Amino acid sequence: MAGMTRRRGAYALRRLVRFAVALGVLMVASFAMIHLIPGDPVRASLGPAAPYELVEARRAALGLDQPLPAQFLGYVGGVLTGEFGTSFLTGERVGDVIAARLPTTLTLALAATAVALLVAVPLGMWAGVRTENGRRRGTEAAFTSVTGTAVAVPEFLYSIALVAVFAIGLGWFPPAGRAGPESYVLPVVALAIGPAAMIARMCRVETLRVLGTEYVRLARAKRLPSARLYVRHVLPGTLTATLTVCGLLLTALIAGSVIVEYVFAWPGLGQRIVESITQKDYPVAQGVILVYGVIVLTVNLLIDLALGALDPTSRLKE
Amino acid sequence: MIIEDLSVRFGAFTAVDGVTLPIPPGSAVGLVGESGSGKSTLARAVAGLVPYTGRIEGARRVQMVFQDPYASLDPRMTVGASIGEGLRGLGRDARRREVARLLDLVALPADLAGRYPRELSGGQRQRVAIARALGARPELLIADEITSALDVSVQGAVLNLVRTLRAELGLSMLFISHNLAVVRYVCDVIAVMREGRLVETGPAEEVVAEPRHDYTRALLAAVPRLTGERG
Amino acid sequence: MMRTPSAWIGVSLVALMVVLAVIGPPIWGEAAERIDPGAVLQGASAAHPLGTDNLGRDLLARVLVAGRLSLALALLATLAGGLAGVVLGALPSVLPRRAARLVTATVNTLVAFPGLLLAMFIAVIAGLGARGAVLGIAAAVAPGVARLTQTLAASVAGRDYVAAARLLGVPRPLILVRHVLPNIAEPLILNLAQAMGGALLGLAGMSFLGLGVQPPAYDWGRLLFDGFSRIYVTPVVALGPAVAVALAGIGFNLLGDALARAAARTRAAGAAPAGAAPAPADPGEPDPDAVLEVRDLTVAFPGGLTPVRGVSLTLRPGEIVGLVGESGSGKSLTAAAIGGLVPYPGVVRAGALRLCGRDARTMPDRELGTALAMVFQDPMASLNPALRVGGQLAEVATVHLGASRAEAARRAVDRLGHVRIPDPERRARQHPHELSGGMRQRAVIAMGLMGTPRLIVADEPTTALDVTVQRQILTLLREVTAETGAATLFISHDIAVVGELCDRVVVMYAGRVVEELPVAELAGGAAHPYTRALVASVPGMDTDRSRPLAGIPGRPPAPGGIGPGCAFAPRCPVATSRCTAERPPLAPYAPEPGASTAHKVACWEAAA
Repeated sequence: MAGMTRRRGAYALRRLVRFAVALGVLMVASFAMIHLIPGDPVRASLGPAAPYELVEARRAALGLDQPLPAQFLGYVGGVLTGEFGTSFLTGERVGDVIAARLPTTLTLALAATAVALLVAVPLGMWAGVRTENGRRRGTEAAFTSVTGTAVAVPEFLYSIALVAVFAIGLGWFPPAGRAGPESYVLPVVALAIGPAAMIARMCRVETLRVLGTEYVRLARAKRLPSARLYVRHVLPGTLTATLTVCGLLLTALIAGSVIVEYVFAWPGLGQRIVESITQKDYPVAQGVILVYGVIVLTVNLLIDLALGALDPTSRLKE
Repeated sequence: MIIEDLSVRFGAFTAVDGVTLPIPPGSAVGLVGESGSGKSTLARAVAGLVPYTGRIEGARRVQMVFQDPYASLDPRMTVGASIGEGLRGLGRDARRREVARLLDLVALPADLAGRYPRELSGGQRQRVAIARALGARPELLIADEITSALDVSVQGAVLNLVRTLRAELGLSMLFISHNLAVVRYVCDVIAVMREGRLVETGPAEEVVAEPRHDYTRALLAAVPRLTGERG
Repeated sequence: MMRTPSAWIGVSLVALMVVLAVIGPPIWGEAAERIDPGAVLQGASAAHPLGTDNLGRDLLARVLVAGRLSLALALLATLAGGLAGVVLGALPSVLPRRAARLVTATVNTLVAFPGLLLAMFIAVIAGLGARGAVLGIAAAVAPGVARLTQTLAASVAGRDYVAAARLLGVPRPLILVRHVLPNIAEPLILNLAQAMGGALLGLAGMSFLGLGVQPPAYDWGRLLFDGFSRIYVTPVVALGPAVAVALAGIGFNLLGDALARAAARTRAAGAAPAGAAPAPADPGEPDPDAVLEVRDLTVAFPGGLTPVRGVSLTLRPGEIVGLVGESGSGKSLTAAAIGGLVPYPGVVRAGALRLCGRDARTMPDRELGTALAMVFQDPMASLNPALRVGGQLAEVATVHLGASRAEAARRAVDRLGHVRIPDPERRARQHPHELSGGMRQRAVIAMGLMGTPRLIVADEPTTALDVTVQRQILTLLREVTAETGAATLFISHDIAVVGELCDRVVVMYAGRVVEELPVAELAGGAAHPYTRALVASVPGMDTDRSRPLAGIPGRPPAPGGIGPGCAFAPRCPVATSRCTAERPPLAPYAPEPGASTAHKVACWEAAA
C-alpha cells in the first residue's frame, strides 16, 4: 500500500512537471506569435496611412523597440502580474477584458458539459445494453446514424438553425445576448449537441466492451438483478474512458464556444478573439489565446490527476 | 557457445540477474521457469532483441521462433516472402528453390509459399516460422514457448519436428518452456530459472530424477501426471 | 461495406460533393458572378430560389459553385496536415532517443489543443485569408495524425514479425518500408478520410467567423458569413450554404464510419437464422441421484453453426468430472449453456437441463445464484477491477440470501479464510489488482462458497496459472468438492490435469462426446482413437525420450465442415468407409464381460 501511494505521488508529480513545461512552451509560443507576423505588426494593424509617430509610440508601448530577451522577460513578468498589455482598438487593459469575459465563457462551457454528460452517459449505456452482441440491429443502426449525423454537424450550424427556428421563427428564446436564464438555453444546446452525440457513442462502445469482460460474465453467473449488474459492475468500468473523452470534450467545447459566442453575441472571450483577429488587435489576440491555452492545459492536468486517482492500475504504468 | 554473467535491467527492475549458461554445440538446453522468471527476457537478450550487460560468446548467427504464431508472421507478406526475407545473395530461382527446400524441411507442401498467414493453421504457421529461422542457417536456434499457443493435438507434431531437425541438422538450441515434461522430452540439459537467476542446471534426466534445489523439487511435484497418484 | 443504409448515404453524399466540385463552376459559374442591380438582397423567388446577395447575384448558383473551393481547400489542408503528421509521427522511430522523446512530448501536448484554437493561432500569424486558414487547419490536423502514426508504428514495431526480421538482418529502413508502413497504411488512410470531413467543417467555421476565405473569393463558410448578417430579415439566405456544409460534414463522417467498420469487420457470420437442430429427445424422468443432468444439449449459432451437438452428461454428488477437448470442441460452450451464459445469438436446446432434479432454465435466480458456482479461466479478468474483493463476495449473500451488509461482509471474510487466503480481513478490503493470480482464483472459488453450491462449473480455471499455483488450486477444488458434496464439472484442454484431478473423464471432439471413461482407464484403457492419440501426444515425465510422440495429423474440423460420419474420421488412422458415412453412437464399451460399465465410446472400430 505504501508503494502504491508513493507511485501515485510520483505520477502526480510527473504530471505537474509536464504541465509546467507545457505552460512554459505556451508562453514562448504566445510571445513568439507577435514576432512571427511578417513585417511590422503595428504597421499592419494601424494601416499604411497611420502617422509614423503613432506607430513608434505603439511599438514602444508594446516594448517592440527593446532587444528580444528583454522583451520576453518583460512579457513573462507582465503575464505573471496579470498585465497583458493594452488593446490597440479600445485602449482597454487586456487583463481587464479577460477578467470580465472569462467567467461568462466558462459558465457557458461548463453548463454545456453538464448537459452533454447528463444526456449522453445514460443514453450510451442504454444503447450498449440494448445492442449487446449485435442484437437489435435496427436500434444499433438508428443510434449510430443519428449520433453520427449529430457529430458531423458543426456548432455554427446548430447555432444558426436554433436561432432561425426558436428565436426568429417561434420567438421562444432571445436570439442573442446574455440576460436571464432563458438566454442560456439556445447557446448551451447548440454547444452540447455534438459533444453529447460523441460521448453517447463512446459510452455505448465502452459499455459493450465491459459487457464482454469475464468479470461481467461472472457477475451474471451470480444471477445479480440487472439494475445491480449494470450500475455496480458495468458503469465503473466505463468511467475511465468517459473521463478521458470528457477532457478532450471540454477543450473542444471551449473552442466551440468561440463560434457559439459569435453567433449569439455572447459577451465572452470567444466573441472578443474573433474581433481581435479580424481587426488585427494583436495584444488582445495574444492575451486571449494564452488564456485559452492555459485552460486547455489545466483541464488536461485535472483529468490526468483524476484518472490517476480513479484507476491506479492502468494509468500508472505508462 | 556460452552465456556469461548476463543481466537485463528494465529501469530499477532486474529481469535477468547474472546468468551464466554454456550451450555446447549440437545440444539442446532447456530453460524452465514460471511466469516472471525472466526466461523469455533471457532468450530475447541472447537473440540481441533487448539490451543486456555481460557476454555472449560463440554465437554469431542466432535465430528465434516465437510463442504466438499469429503474431510472428507479417499478415501482409506471403509465406514465401516471409521465409525468403532471410535469404540474401540468391537469384530469384535459387531463392524459390531454397524456400521450397525449407518448406519441405518442416514438412509443409511447397505450394504454401504463395499463401498468406491468415490461410494457415497455428501449427502450420509455427512450421513456417521455423523454416524462416532455418533459412538463415543459425548456429543457435532459440525456441520460446513454441507449442504453448497450439492445440493439444498439434503440439506433439511440432515437438517431433524440432527433434528431427536437431538430429538432421545438428542444431544447437535454447528451448524455453514452462512445461517441464516438454523440456525433458526435447532437451539434453535443463536449466531452471527463478526470479531472474538460474537455480539449477544439469543433464535432463538427472535434474528430473534427482533435483538438488528445493524450487526444482517444487516444480517437479507440481507437474500434473496422467497416471499420477491421487493426493 | 455497403451493407448499411448509412454507408450508402455517406458514399452518395461524398460522391455528390465530388461531382459538384467538378461540374459546379463550369455550369453555374457565370450565373454566380452575374451582378443584377435590380435584384439586390432579395429573399426566395422563382428566379432566385435562395435569394440574392448585396450585388444581386444568385445565391443558389453561388452555393453550387462554392463547393469546389470548399472541397479543394479541405483536401489541401488534409494532405498538408496529414503529410506533416506522418513525418512528425515517424520521426521518433529514426531520431536519437532524446530528440524522439521531445517530439513525442510536443505531439502529445499539441493533441490536447482543439483544432480551432491552433487554426486561430496560425491565422493571427499568417493573416486573414484562405492561405492562413488552410495552414491553420493543416496545423490542427497534423498532431492527431502524428499521434496515430506514432501509436500504430510503435505497436507494429513491437510485433514478433518485426523482431524476426531484425534477427534475419533486415536493415531498419527496409523494416520500416516493408513491415511497418504497409501494416499501418490502412488505418492511417482511414483516419485521413475522416480528417477530411473535419477539415471541411473547420475551414467553413473559419470562413464563417470571417477569418478564412476573403472576398471576392467565396466558399460555403463565407456565404454563410454573408447570409448570417441577414438572418433576421431573410433567413432563407443562410439555408443554402448551411445545408451544403451539413451534407458535406455528414457525408464524410458516415463514409468514415462505414470505412472503419468495414476495416474492423472480421469475416463474421451473416444474420441467417440459427441452424435448425433436430428436436431434442424426450426429457425422460429426472434422475433422483443426479446433481446435474444434461440430455441432448445443442448450442447453435446463425449460419448453420452448431458447436455443441447432442451432448449428454450426468454428474453425481461429490463427483469431479473432467470435460476434455481442444479449442473448438464445444467444451466451453457446454459449460456456458449449463450456466445459462451462452452469448446472443446462440440458441440453446436441450431435452433436459436439470440441476438437482429441477429444470435449471426456469429456476429462480435466487436459487440458481447460490446453487451453481462458476470459475473461469483468467482470474486476472474475472474479478471486477473497480470493486473491492470482499464486496464482490458479499453481494451474493445480500442479493440472494437476504443477509444484512454486516452479516454478508463477515461471511465474505470467513469464506476467504476458508479457501486459505491469508489475512482475509485485509484482503477483503483490497481491490483485485492487489492480489496475486492464485489468490484471485481462490477468491472466485470463495465467491461460489457464499451460498451452498450443488454444482461447481470450472472452465479452464488453472490454464492461466503457473504449475505450482495450479497444483494449489486443484487441491482446493478437490477439498471444496469433498466438503460441500457438490459435483464439479472441470473443463480443460490439458488431459494430464484432468487425469490427475477427476474421477471421470468426458472427451469431446467437434461438438460431441466421443468417449466417457473412469479416470483409471484413461492412461491405458482408452478406446477411442482420438482419446488414445491425445494421451500419447502429450509428453509426460516418463515419456520415452528416444521415441517420437504420437502426433495427430491434420487439424480439428471447422464447425461448419463436419460430414455425416464421425468427425474424427479424416484424421483417424483406423477409419473405414463406414466411419465417414455413418456417425457412431455413444455406446457402452466393455472389452471383456464384467468390466466397468461406466465406459462409453462413440467409435465403430472400438466396439468390442
